[in-house]
This record gives sequence, structure tokens and C-alpha cells, in this order.
Amino acid sequence: MIVGKQKSIAEIREIVLPYKKLLVLGCGTCVKTCFAGGEDEVATLSSALRLSFKKDGRSIYIEELTVERQCEDEFIREAAVAISKNTAVLSLACGAGVQAIARRFANVPVLPGVNTTFIGVLEKQGLFTEECLGCGDCQLAVFGGVCPVSRCAKKLQNGPCGGSRNGKCEINPDTDCAWQQIITRLTALGQLDNLRKYNPPKDWRTSHAGGPRKLVREDHVI
Amino acid sequence: MIKKYKPQITLFHCINAFDNCASLPVSTGGAFELKPVKMACSSMVKDVFLLRAFEAGADAVAVFVCPEGQCRYVEGNIRAKKRVNFVKNLLDEIGLSGRRLSLHNVECGDTENAVRILQQVLSDINDMGPSPAK
Repeated sequence: MIVGKQKSIAEIREIVLPYKKLLVLGCGTCVKTCFAGGEDEVATLSSALRLSFKKDGRSIYIEELTVERQCEDEFIREAAVAISKNTAVLSLACGAGVQAIARRFANVPVLPGVNTTFIGVLEKQGLFTEECLGCGDCQLAVFGGVCPVSRCAKKLQNGPCGGSRNGKCEINPDTDCAWQQIITRLTALGQLDNLRKYNPPKDWRTSHAGGPRKLVREDHVI
Repeated sequence: MIKKYKPQITLFHCINAFDNCASLPVSTGGAFELKPVKMACSSMVKDVFLLRAFEAGADAVAVFVCPEGQCRYVEGNIRAKKRVNFVKNLLDEIGLSGRRLSLHNVECGDTENAVRILQQVLSDINDMGPSPAK
């Protein structure tokens, strides 16, 4: 899922300051799971903003709404009426959601309330870790299901560097060495021989380095 | 006629920690207005409920939870504590002061302690003055 973190109240306040009628729009999928932009966060942020403005003697009208996903037209449509009643939208979705809303409503300012952080997993309650960089050329079969592109600080493709100490990475003692994990996992799977094969330098053209990407499924295009 | 300021305290309380609001010195002293909110467990207190209490005019919000290790639902009071700390930081960020929100561990049936805590909350409000977001 996409992991995000809500911006500070001070930054959000600054962004929404010019607008008198604001729709705080949540997204009920990824950012809800990471407590950044679901229904609860919409309610809490709206209340905090109202208190903040009232304290300074300013008034702001805030409407609250959460749709299932802000990155799909089908769900965006549900927000159309609420968007038309307000002068701006503060979107608590990831960057894709913010842009999808902006694309559909050309005359309404759509403002981001969340910093999109990474593609990751919920490791345990309250802890999210980055697991995928979206490189466009997945080699997890070779590495036993542990990604050296997203989880090795140096993105090494052919074994660990000299900074691996007791299973931890030299950049941060809290970070597991991805290569230690790859070797442990491949050993358990009896596939350590995978590493005898040389992995050539990564071709980053399939990643974002090749510019904005597009995926077309002709079988679904009408 | 100018309405006389009377501090307003909203009290969220777990019924297992404290369930005797009638015994509190609200009507007798009349020094403050108390709005009690009963909960089956303190873990039911959500961030937005605490903030909405301030929106509804509270000068201070107190949360009564069971002592640590004595929650009937194991970790409800720990969850409440974490949420209260989160909202305290939000209140500081907004400029309302996190001191207006407090969490207290109260033994079941210890009314004397509950009264003492509320008096302390009242004294803190008197130091800070009315909520600027009223």
C-alpha cells in the first residue's frame, strides 16, 4: 500500500488560509490504513483546524467527507456535490489521489494534506516499512522475496557491502541488512545457488528515471 | 447583561475507573460546570471526541482511566493514554495548550481522589484562563 504522513497543522493552516469554505476529503484505502487520511483523520484534522482558526478570531466553514478511493473516477464522482459547494479541497489522499481530484475539477484548488512517503507494508500496529520502489522490473524470485532495490541502502545486486554488521546496516543500526535477509531466506529455501548467477547493473529505464510511466491494457481499453 | 464566566470541564471517564459523578462537587460549590461523558472503557476515547469537547466550549478536558495493569480490557487505558498524548501535542501546535487536557489513573470507587483531581484541573484553568477557542 501507499504509506503517507499527515502534514503538520501549521503547514496545513498556511495552505488553507486563503479559503473560507473548505472540503476536507479523506481516502478510505491506503492512507486510512496508515492513519494519515481516513475518516478518523478527516474528523480530527477538521476539528483541529476549526479550533485553530477560532482561537485566532477567524472563521472557516469545513465540510468533511471520505470516499473509498480518490484515485478512481467511480469514487471521485461521489465527492462531486461536496466539491461544488466549497471553494477549495484539502485532500488527505496520496499524491495520486490529489492529482486525480485536481484533474477532474479544473476550477477548484486541490491542496495536499499528506506527504506521500513510500510503498510499504504494515509490519505491526503503528509500524510501516518501505518494501518496494516501483522499479518496474521485479526480481524478487532471484532474491528469495527480499528486495535489495528498496531495502538495501546501496541497492546492491550481487551481495552485501562491507558495512553489514550482525545483520544490521551501517547506515542505521535499526535497519536490517537486506543482504543478510536475502542469504538467510535463500538458505532456508535451499536456493542459495541463485546467487552464483551474476546480476547485471539495474536498468533504471523501467523505473521513474525513465520519466512518468504509463500502463496500457489494450484488452481493457474500449 | 454580561454572562459570568464559569469554567467548563468535560470529563471522559471509564465506568470501571469511576462511576459516581453524582458525588462530585458540581452543584454544591458551583465553581465550575462539569460535563461527564461515560465510557464502557477508556479506549473508546478517540482523538476527535477530545477535540470536539473543546469545540463545544470546554476550558479543560480530563480523562479518568483505570490504573495501569488494571484495565478490564487489558490495554484500554494504555491506548487512551497514547491518544491523550497525541491530542495534547495537537493542542500545543494549535496554540490552545496541551495542559488543558489531562489523563488520570483513578482507582475504582476512589471518589476522594477524583474530587482532588478535578480541583487541580480547575486550579490549572484558573491559571490559564478561559479557552481562547471558545
